[in-house]
Amino acid sequence: MSDPVVLTLATAPTHLLVADCIAADRFALLGAGDIGQLPVTHGGRRALLGDFFTVTGERSATVRITGDVTKVEGIGAGMADGELVVDGSVGSDLGRGMAGGRIDVHGSAGDNPGGALPGAARGMTGGEIIIRGDAGAQAGAAARRGLIVVTGNAGPQAGRGMIAGTVVVFGRAAAGAGRFLKRGSIVALGAIDRPATFRYACTYRPPHLPLLLRYLRARYALAIGEPQITGRYARYSGDLAELGKGEILHWVAE
Amino acid sequence: MKIDGVTIEDTFAEAFTMRVARLIITGRNAKWAREAAVKLTGFATSVIGCKCEAAIERELAPEETPDGHPGVSVLFLTMDKESLSEQLIVRIGQTVLTCPTTACFDGLPEAPDRLAVGKALRVFGDGFQASKVIGGKRYWRLPVMEGEFLVEETFGMQKGVGGGNFLILAEDADAALAAAEAAVLAMTNFRGVILPFPGGVVRSGSKVGSRRYKNMIATTNDAFDPTLRAVTTSQVPAGVNSVLEIVLDGTDAPAIEAAMRGGIRAACRPGIVAITAGNYGGKLGPHHFYLRKILA
Repeated sequence: MSDPVVLTLATAPTHLLVADCIAADRFALLGAGDIGQLPVTHGGRRALLGDFFTVTGERSATVRITGDVTKVEGIGAGMADGELVVDGSVGSDLGRGMAGGRIDVHGSAGDNPGGALPGAARGMTGGEIIIRGDAGAQAGAAARRGLIVVTGNAGPQAGRGMIAGTVVVFGRAAAGAGRFLKRGSIVALGAIDRPATFRYACTYRPPHLPLLLRYLRARYALAIGEPQITGRYARYSGDLAELGKGEILHWVAE
Repeated sequence: MKIDGVTIEDTFAEAFTMRVARLIITGRNAKWAREAAVKLTGFATSVIGCKCEAAIERELAPEETPDGHPGVSVLFLTMDKESLSEQLIVRIGQTVLTCPTTACFDGLPEAPDRLAVGKALRVFGDGFQASKVIGGKRYWRLPVMEGEFLVEETFGMQKGVGGGNFLILAEDADAALAAAEAAVLAMTNFRGVILPFPGGVVRSGSKVGSRRYKNMIATTNDAFDPTLRAVTTSQVPAGVNSVLEIVLDGTDAPAIEAAMRGGIRAACRPGIVAITAGNYGGKLGPHHFYLRKILA
């Protein structure tokens, strides 16, 4: 088995760096030199990934990124498999349109994690994104499948227009969470600013949540307490301005 | 060979290849998991009449189940893949789906053959059902009056073994029953093994076909019926007045062997004359469990 690919930020970008070439499944087929030659866009100008990152390891679907990549956009975009770990915060479009694999960010993420390209009908269609911090606006927007977990606060309109999939927010979910939701679930462990187009259904124990939360605790060592795992949730159906088969499951602290 | 004065006959139990699934049923507490499992495995003693064989394999602690609730594992066997799927869909739909607080999970996640049981059951949700993928597995959430029923989309299926057996030949009915109960107790909670008959014990062992009624698939095992000793070609030894049978199904032959070893040893007690086993001369089933070899 090859060593994991490690991207270490050597030259900090002075402008927005679009690096949607960074995807674990793509790196599984490439040598270190080839990875460094992948195209990026820096401040609107063409550049190479190797202009900013040193690359160690090769031909591995396990990738680690170190350094301050808050100005780097599109990490994990379109990723279909493998595992990508980021030691710190990332920019926007994390895992945009991803189809599979896992992204684990040990920090916050910018706007549109797991979302769609502008004008695209679908965001992520599979895989898991763990953000161990805050997320920007529209986390999981238009997602078709997949899981996004935000351990901090989520910006406005988390899960906007989701077709299916799950967004879990440990902290506060800002205004517009779930707006235009068709199917899919927003699991709110903290406060949530719910759209008026969601209607209360009942308060109960959704049987899949213990499975999901225990999985997150075991797989990612997330700090999830028994009260959340065994607790009751208020179910709000919506968005009733849309298909209405989605839901917000809001933990009821007892 | 003798164990504690009980003769172990030089013969073998003949068993068949079947298809097996393992279900994990959980509930708010052990009572409700067991309630569902008991109903699910009711009328599932023999494929001859029930079209399936099933029983509780063992009880599970909360830390052993996917959702952290108390549960039971159930083994479910049929003769082929198609009937296994049919039986699971019908029975889970009528007994687990209906039972308060329960959920139903696959207990053979590594098995490559998958049965789309939850996928079929989902339509009970009448379009209101929803699926979730958790850790790479898809689950269906069916809305029910209580709340939701959760069932895994597919269940693993593998080849198993059905029809492992041994016969307890006793001086009287009380001794036979006491020995059978001791054997069942010794085989309780063996992983990969179930005893599908009532209390794990069969009093009406059967032979293939009939001497008189051509449409009968199985009829009484007259060779081991003490009351027929004088009028049939009997295999009941002198001094034996009652015979009980233990039937074992399992996930594999080693599991059956291990359980038979424990069960037979426990059955060797006062009042028991001999232990033997049922077979068809080795012509029908590929699995042959030689009693003396198992106990050596």
